[in-house]
Amino acid sequence: MKAYEIIMETLLRKTFLRVIHLAWLGTYAALFLIPWPPEVWNWGACVFGWSGCLLPLLLSAGIFGDDIASGRISLLVTKPIRPEYLYACRWLGVSLQGAIHLAIAGGVIFTLHGFTGRGNAEHLALWLLAAWLIFNTWAALSTSLSVVVKREHNGMLLVLGAGMVALGVSLLTGLFPGSYGTKLFTGFVRWACPPVELLVDLAKARRSLWGGLGDVGHSIMLTVFYGVLGMILLSRREYKRTGD
Amino acid sequence: MDAVGHSATPLIECREVTKTYRSIWTGRSQAVCALRDVSLEIGAGTIVGLIGPNGAGKTTFLSLIAGLIHPSKGLVRVGGHPARSIEARELLAYVPESPVFLARYSARAVLRYHAALHGLSRREIGDVTERLLKQVKLREYARRRVGGFSQGMRQRLALGVALINRPRLLLLDEPSNGLDPIGVIELRRVLSDLRQAGATVVISSHRLGELEKLTSEYIFLDKGRIVRFGDEAASRQEAFVRVDLLPSGAGINAEQVAPHRLLERSPTRMRIAVTGIEEVPDVVRRLTDAGGRITGVQLESEDVEQAFVRLCQERAS
Repeated sequence: MKAYEIIMETLLRKTFLRVIHLAWLGTYAALFLIPWPPEVWNWGACVFGWSGCLLPLLLSAGIFGDDIASGRISLLVTKPIRPEYLYACRWLGVSLQGAIHLAIAGGVIFTLHGFTGRGNAEHLALWLLAAWLIFNTWAALSTSLSVVVKREHNGMLLVLGAGMVALGVSLLTGLFPGSYGTKLFTGFVRWACPPVELLVDLAKARRSLWGGLGDVGHSIMLTVFYGVLGMILLSRREYKRTGD
Repeated sequence: MDAVGHSATPLIECREVTKTYRSIWTGRSQAVCALRDVSLEIGAGTIVGLIGPNGAGKTTFLSLIAGLIHPSKGLVRVGGHPARSIEARELLAYVPESPVFLARYSARAVLRYHAALHGLSRREIGDVTERLLKQVKLREYARRRVGGFSQGMRQRLALGVALINRPRLLLLDEPSNGLDPIGVIELRRVLSDLRQAGATVVISSHRLGELEKLTSEYIFLDKGRIVRFGDEAASRQEAFVRVDLLPSGAGINAEQVAPHRLLERSPTRMRIAVTGIEEVPDVVRRLTDAGGRITGVQLESEDVEQAFVRLCQERAS
């Protein structure tokens, strides 16, 4: 019952979350009704970007930050429940939402693409797998950041951060293509940040079987790493009175 | 070390506890020491009132016991376990000032959620939820969302949440905020029942009159230090004699009643501090020698509010 209540809380805590799910799924369906997208539109990439990368940041916005800022956290951490358990259940709640969302999105796209033939649904299953893996990684990073950042700022910070990192990579590789610093930075982004590039390659079936399994393992390891970091922060953090 | 309560094994143990708040941006330059070298023990089966001026460290003290914050120095134990441990949390319950719940949850859902966090089974959760809704008088609001609750209703709900696991230690920070008089009476009854069941209650409140109806044991904090600790006799050392007089020309000044301390003076009434009834005849004699025409003499003792004001004035001077 403990895990169930915490997991359900991740969905019920705000009406906004259910609206987001419905809006995202409705948008995928609605896109089939308009003359655009053109035939080269890749549904898998669309789901990967919107549901795999952006959605977890919205679903986990303020997942701990709201409780800490409002003072509600004082009623939770004084219960006989390990902070690691609380973190894990909340992350699991977001992950399950992502899994159900992606399953429905995949079903909607597969069905409508079958009827209309619009866009490109090649390797849709691989894209959905990659989307769920990247969803979990972003969710873990965002949930951990929520432990130290007030309210819903974790999601916004990650969107801004990701944008700046992408801009940085683009500038460095364009201006200083062969430099050591560029290699160091791009290497850090590829291996320590959510593995967008690697999972896109996986989804496009550009990787061998072992390469693909390695990408999956790498993604899972990063998810675990971010999660452990968040658990440590949550267990060591102090909770002063409201206005923290 | 100061001690309160009747048990050989203290339920709360603080040893040289100091808490300093520092910001990572300002560092030591603007550090605030909220508690300094606090050492005390509180046993089982007692209600302790925690009083002090604003900023004295009351909430910090409660937060340390509840395990919400770490002490900068010293140690805090609850039931023999470190304050932040799972074992300590199984013993205690904490009701913060202005409790907050998920606005979308109903009162019943909140109780169910917190009961689940205690690891109760589905059936136990159902039983406990209904019992507590009745106990805190929220049964008719069980399905209403907490977002529409008044402050007093949230306080009642927070008390219900705290009672889920029948705690051995209950920490309350201004619990009567927003409660109507009936609610205050109910709260008093609940806390008395808890004490009779052997639980310990530490209650921080500015409503000294309400505290006085609950307990005779107090911790008085000022600027992070314990100024007074223990039972009523220790806290309320001051008694005073109230003397009614006929108005006289020059009046009586403090030197004329020395060595007794003149607390208050008006043309027809004086209050003079004494340590006991045996000093009253001497006070009367001095007033008479000074020309006072006495019409009435009454020995009174300080209530908690008067003791609090006096202690604050003593500290300020």
